[in-house]
Amino acid sequence: MINKIFSILQKDLKIEFSKGHLFFSVILYVVSSIYIVYLSFQPSGLFNLEVWVSIFWILILFASVSSVSKSFFQESQKRNLYYYFIVSPDELIISKLVYNFLFLSAIVLLTFIVFSFLLGDIIISKNFFVVLLILGSLSISNCLTLISAISYQVENNSLIISVLGFPVILPILLLLVRISKVSSIDFSWNLIREDIYLLILLNIILLALTKVLFNYLWRN
Amino acid sequence: MKYIKIGCIFLLTYTFTAGYLFDVPALPILNETVRALYLHVPMWFTMIFLLLLSSYHSYMFVSKGGELHESKSYNYAHVGVYFGILGLLTGMFWAKYTWGTYWTNDPKLNGSAIGLLIYFGYFILRSSIDDESKKGKISSVYNVFAFSMLIPLIFILPRLTDSLHPGNGGNPGFNVYDMNSQLRLVFYPAVTGFIFLGLWISDLRLKMLKLK
Repeated sequence: MINKIFSILQKDLKIEFSKGHLFFSVILYVVSSIYIVYLSFQPSGLFNLEVWVSIFWILILFASVSSVSKSFFQESQKRNLYYYFIVSPDELIISKLVYNFLFLSAIVLLTFIVFSFLLGDIIISKNFFVVLLILGSLSISNCLTLISAISYQVENNSLIISVLGFPVILPILLLLVRISKVSSIDFSWNLIREDIYLLILLNIILLALTKVLFNYLWRN
Repeated sequence: MKYIKIGCIFLLTYTFTAGYLFDVPALPILNETVRALYLHVPMWFTMIFLLLLSSYHSYMFVSKGGELHESKSYNYAHVGVYFGILGLLTGMFWAKYTWGTYWTNDPKLNGSAIGLLIYFGYFILRSSIDDESKKGKISSVYNVFAFSMLIPLIFILPRLTDSLHPGNGGNPGFNVYDMNSQLRLVFYPAVTGFIFLGLWISDLRLKMLKLK
């Protein structure tokens, strides 16, 4: 099982590296939207922590929706039929989850670097914030992978994924925004313990649901 | 079903007469508006109950199949959303008289509004698929997924922050609701009555769907 997961993952990464246009298009999308934010906050600049954190996570949300939605759409109909015969749905969805997680964490880290370069380096507890970013990209990819699989089955799907995804992802995003607001100045475990536990709990629920429900979805 | 109908008529008649006539505790600010409790809170109880039934039938449909489960889950979600909208409206008027505004940044308000958005997404998804066999399966999968995200949104997240609603920012037992026995005398029958009403409406809708 693990071998098969790795081979699908390897194939996806190989396609990504050889073509590379998806990764760079998302990067370009993020950088240009950061630039729009940067220019619209000119001459005075952005100093408020709350505004910084909120805009940062909203940018991440839009970037991740557009990047996760590609993970199923880039497969052709024929290749999906081929997968249907050689791998089980569990193997396919786990490899997609891992792929989305890797893809998103790269995007999110790059966004953080560019964002703090242009809009001011407000975050002080950097080590923790990077851990939070990785945890956040894990939660977002867990949440959006099933939604993208659902919207893959629907025609004119580019709108459907945001209609379905935004309300569902909201609890996760709220937690992430709250944790980053509290902990960006001075990291204290006592303040965020409950939120982190809740985030981990939500991830477990999401993973279990994704694994169970994708089985039924894939039988189509 | 027959007993549910009789019980519904009996309990709701009781609620609407006793709810307006019985004594209520005179509290500052709240005063007589506390009677809105009999209408506002049962709406949410009914919504959650119907949506739970809906996601149960969705799960049964994806795991076992059977068209009846699918149409039942769609129906329950539909009626549940109606009750959710009514809950928001009754809450808004109550809030106007007690908190001074129709809408505040209260975690419960936000949670329930987003919960309604989730279900509007479900209806849009369901109507955007033409293929009948695909329609049921995909929307049912989304229904189960969405309901499990609704639970933390309404029940867990508001508990972690302070809220204007009673029972938040701590352990919310029913005792914290500060209800005295006078209120309970009408409140519990009201909840049961409205749940019966929800079941009755969904039953009627299901029959209409069958006739079509």
